[in-house]
Amino acid sequence: MTIQKNREADILTVAVEGRLDTTTAPQLEEELNASIDGVKELVLDLVDLAYVSSAGLRVLLSAQKTMNKQGSMVIKNANEEVMEIFEVTGFIDILNIEE
Amino acid sequence: MGKEKKAKVNRMGLRLKFSLIVSFVGICIAVALVLMGTNLMEDTIIHLYTDQGYKVAQTAVDFFTDEEIERYADLADRYIKGEVEREELDAVSQEPRYVEVKQLIRNLRKEMDANDIFICVYDVDMLKNYDQELDEKGEWTPIYYIMDCYHTEEEDFMFGDASAVVLEYLDTLIKSNDAGKRPSEFIVTDTQFGHNTTAILPIIVNDKTIAFCYVETPMKILESNKKMFVTQLGILTAVVTVILLIISIFLIVRLMIRHIVYVAQEADRFTSDNSVITHKLSEIKTHDEIQVLAENLLKLEIGINEYIDNLTKVTAEKERIGAELNVATQIQADMLPRIFPAFPERKEFDLYASMDPAKEVGGDFYDFFLIDDDHIGLVMADVSGKGVPAALFMVIAKTLIKNRAQIGGSPSEVLAYANEQLCEGNDAELFVTVWLGIIQISTGKGLAANAGHEHPVIRRAGGEYELVKYRHSPAVATMEGIKFREHEFELNPGDSLYVYTDGVPEATNSNEEMYGTDRMLAALNRNPDASPEEALKTVKDDISEFVGEAPQFDDITMLGFSYFGK
Repeated sequence: MTIQKNREADILTVAVEGRLDTTTAPQLEEELNASIDGVKELVLDLVDLAYVSSAGLRVLLSAQKTMNKQGSMVIKNANEEVMEIFEVTGFIDILNIEE
Repeated sequence: MGKEKKAKVNRMGLRLKFSLIVSFVGICIAVALVLMGTNLMEDTIIHLYTDQGYKVAQTAVDFFTDEEIERYADLADRYIKGEVEREELDAVSQEPRYVEVKQLIRNLRKEMDANDIFICVYDVDMLKNYDQELDEKGEWTPIYYIMDCYHTEEEDFMFGDASAVVLEYLDTLIKSNDAGKRPSEFIVTDTQFGHNTTAILPIIVNDKTIAFCYVETPMKILESNKKMFVTQLGILTAVVTVILLIISIFLIVRLMIRHIVYVAQEADRFTSDNSVITHKLSEIKTHDEIQVLAENLLKLEIGINEYIDNLTKVTAEKERIGAELNVATQIQADMLPRIFPAFPERKEFDLYASMDPAKEVGGDFYDFFLIDDDHIGLVMADVSGKGVPAALFMVIAKTLIKNRAQIGGSPSEVLAYANEQLCEGNDAELFVTVWLGIIQISTGKGLAANAGHEHPVIRRAGGEYELVKYRHSPAVATMEGIKFREHEFELNPGDSLYVYTDGVPEATNSNEEMYGTDRMLAALNRNPDASPEEALKTVKDDISEFVGEAPQFDDITMLGFSYFGK
């Protein structure tokens, strides 16, 4: 998994590539924790994300909860497979997903 | 420790190497001393003989009056130039005064044990222009004799006879002639009579060098004494050298090498004797680098032992924690109902469930319980995350769901309640995916809620196992105030239900391939009529075969339920 961060003023865009599973989720969590301070808008670009496991969902949920307090979070460009995971798991109801 | 790995070391190595080096240096010095001594002795003897030669030469010259020697030299010079005939020289050599002086010098030669005493002049042109061709013909003769007293009288050169000089000393003779002085170096020749030294005294009259007096002296003492001298000097030097060598080797071994060897032995003992410290190293008091080495080695040994002790403690602590975690895993497993058949008196259904935990304590759980005589609750759940936090969360979640369900209520009410409870103080932000089904045993009608869990699998009587896909609710404990969807379903006699956690489809082999639901369904459909226990075993075996040697990352938890009706 590779993570690319891009911050412009108080907008943080994070592009996640590869698989977000038990082994890689802590890495994303660490990256987000390190740079989420003062962010008003968090954009998660999942265009190259192939798979999300429950551990990955937890990181996304955690980010969503943090951003609910300090601004907003939006998930963009999730592919069909990832969208299906969001749907099946009900995360589609919690996360702010841009179709 | 690895005693057998140690290189074979010659324990005498340092002593032996040092002794060899010192001995080599000592022998070199001894040989140099003998050579220098011999040279010095030779020089001294040559010096003495040559000095004596000059005294003899002076005595010989003193037999002549200045006028006589001037006259003879003048005659010789003119003879060289061809101005005088040989007959005139022969006549002079017959004069009584010439004969008298010759007899005096002859006696002197005898008395002083000289080989030869002669008075001569040089043909300076010839002396300064060496001609090899002439020399080979015997015609290069720069010396012209005035008077010669050889030790065999018959071989005396006559007045006017000429001869060559020893080429080796030609330059010396030229310089001596030009300066009118004695040669600056000793003229030493080796002949059949042994080592001879030659004194060449310039004869100076009225500040002018007019001739030379040669005295050739055999150095008999040198001959007879050299061997003895060398032998004696050699023996003496050898004895002194050996004594000095023994003393210096003894001292250095005692003052230095002994301690180094001792330090080495201590280090050796420490590594091979279970790191026992004897503090013998602190007894080394040499007040030099060896003591520093010994002290530091001791510190190092103590440090290593402290480190080992520390490591042992840490390891023990780790083992203790590991053991406690094992107990935790066991307790967690024990919380799940594991006695089958679970309801032997109920003939309307059969169920079986299993959990294979991964190495670490995880958060999977299943549960089943009778709510009343006609209703059974089935739970399949997976807490996000791993380790002790997930395990504790699982215990709470399981208890909440079962307790709430047994009070009565629909699955959505049960999950909503559990959600509110779990969201309180959920700082770790854990959540749990849950499939909860409540089935009326008499009719097979049921209500189910799926909070972010895997799709359940249903097999209708006579058909195949298939995934039942529908939109799920979010997982429990994700957010406060969530409403959980629920839906009705119906089981007819002969139908089977199979639920599982993501450990099943996400079991991964060494090629990073996931097991997936397709393989799971295929395994179930290999024998669709199997009992729940057999079906679960089939899937488990299929997963094991698929995964092979790859380690199990996640808990594998399954529950099978077959409905027979009344």
